Amino acid sequence: MTAGVTAAPIRVIAPRTRTAGLARAGTTLLAVLAIWYAVAALLRLVHDPGASKLPFPHEVVSAYITYSGTFIEAAWQTGSRAIIGFFAGLGLGLLFGVVIIQSRWLEAAFVPYVLASQMIPLVALVPIVRAVLRDADLVRVYITAYVSFFVVTIAVLRGLRNVSPAALELMESLNASRWTTLRFVRLHAALPYIFSGLRIAAPLSLIGAILVDFLGARNGLGYLLVASLTLGSSQSANLWGALVLSMALGLVLTQLVAIAERRMSFWQPAFRTEARA
Amino acid sequence: MTATGEMEGVADQPVAGFDPNAPPERRHHHEPVSERADHPVAIAVDSVSKVFDSTDRRTVALEDVSFEVRVGEFISLIGPSGCGKSTLLRLVSALDQPTGGRITVNGVAPIEARRRREFGIVFQSPVLFDWRTVDQNVALPLQVMRQPKKQIERRVEELVELVGLGEFRRHYPWQLSGGMQQRVAIARALTFAPPFLLMDEPFGALDLISRDRMAGELLRIWSNAPGTTVLFITHSIPEAILLSDRVVVMSARPGRIVTTVDIDLARPRTEAVRESAAFYRYENELRRLLVQSEAARE
Repeated sequence: MTAGVTAAPIRVIAPRTRTAGLARAGTTLLAVLAIWYAVAALLRLVHDPGASKLPFPHEVVSAYITYSGTFIEAAWQTGSRAIIGFFAGLGLGLLFGVVIIQSRWLEAAFVPYVLASQMIPLVALVPIVRAVLRDADLVRVYITAYVSFFVVTIAVLRGLRNVSPAALELMESLNASRWTTLRFVRLHAALPYIFSGLRIAAPLSLIGAILVDFLGARNGLGYLLVASLTLGSSQSANLWGALVLSMALGLVLTQLVAIAERRMSFWQPAFRTEARA
Repeated sequence: MTATGEMEGVADQPVAGFDPNAPPERRHHHEPVSERADHPVAIAVDSVSKVFDSTDRRTVALEDVSFEVRVGEFISLIGPSGCGKSTLLRLVSALDQPTGGRITVNGVAPIEARRRREFGIVFQSPVLFDWRTVDQNVALPLQVMRQPKKQIERRVEELVELVGLGEFRRHYPWQLSGGMQQRVAIARALTFAPPFLLMDEPFGALDLISRDRMAGELLRIWSNAPGTTVLFITHSIPEAILLSDRVVVMSARPGRIVTTVDIDLARPRTEAVRESAAFYRYENELRRLLVQSEAARE
């Protein structure tokens, strides 16, 4: 009766797809480098070469080598705090979303303020938080947590409701408690929403942390940016180095979120079948 | 074994349900309908009505519906769409409340029976969780009930084999065909040996061939679970005849019971019974009743 259907083991990500993806990413990188070289060369033709605002990529690489200690330290200062804040925001957002969804009243009472507070420009918020917390590391963690908290909360609120009425009735018919239903059904159903929230929250957190560096910290990627800017065109390789490093860090964080998503919500339609290369 | 002897066992423990260790003679106990008629009442529906009120209109889903189901009976509800069959099932399982009348399940209110976890429900769609394998989906009720792990494993294996999915235990629902998914749903409803199996057009989404096969399997499963009372909703007259002790015919808007037809075919029933003259007679009679109930409305 089950003939013709073979018990095929599941492979979530096909290796062929992965290599194809790497190849594509490599091609894009080469294209970007080519354009960069072209634009940098063009700028040098038009402007006085010494005052160039855009260094060649290899100059950036040599800046990385010369000042490797500085770059690594800056990336660590900003990146590690951003990650701590990101996870803190994730945890708090989950908790807050789960609690608030228990009653319509709580949701109606809090969610408008959650949304409104997102309208506060970070540039205005950072100095206030700085004045209160003083320590730059704490401020970085606070701001990144703040940013991811709201994204996660909104995603959790949407996601926990992303359950078919029939699934809830099934749980009801088994006399499952709220907590059991949350653990067995709602949290799983919310995962796709939470992860799309996290994909947005990851780079935003990093930007938040860099902003804190900008606004008066004495280290970190943002500080490196400001310092190189104020020191003028002689430092343009460092400025661009810091920029590229921020971007790379953002990409790594988003990629980590994507990997976690594939592992944890592998059952989503998007991940089910091997993508045809 | 006499009918009375049988009855005592059932009456003492009307909620015990399926006992896999029961001696074989108990497991194949299905006597003719006439004898089951004096089993204790399992579900009593007494002049139940259900009205849905919305701002712009009032829908009478059920009007003055009364019937009784005996312990161990297989009852089918047939009728046109909108005759309130599903509503009735939802009322029995306390997923909704009647606006009038009373329902008792094993002598208590449906909500109380639900607290005692007496209902195994199979919906028209399988309602499986995509993040759980076949095994894990079947294990769900037992996990909700916090049964010991070892016990869950044993029971799940047994049930998955019973519905013929032994090879697919580690597959996810989206890797299975519709019929296989529905079998997982049936296994899940059976894991905790509920005294009541409520099925709302469980084979509605299947093609004709798998539908017939599933009906046969359901009969086999039910005959291995003595004392299990089944309330089965279907659109298919032959399906109702093949499976049931009695068929309740309903009419639509408002949902009412037209009549109840006893199906006096010997058990165990096989596919061959479909070819019998008696089967044809029941089929014609039920079809006539359904057409009549439709005509009466117009």
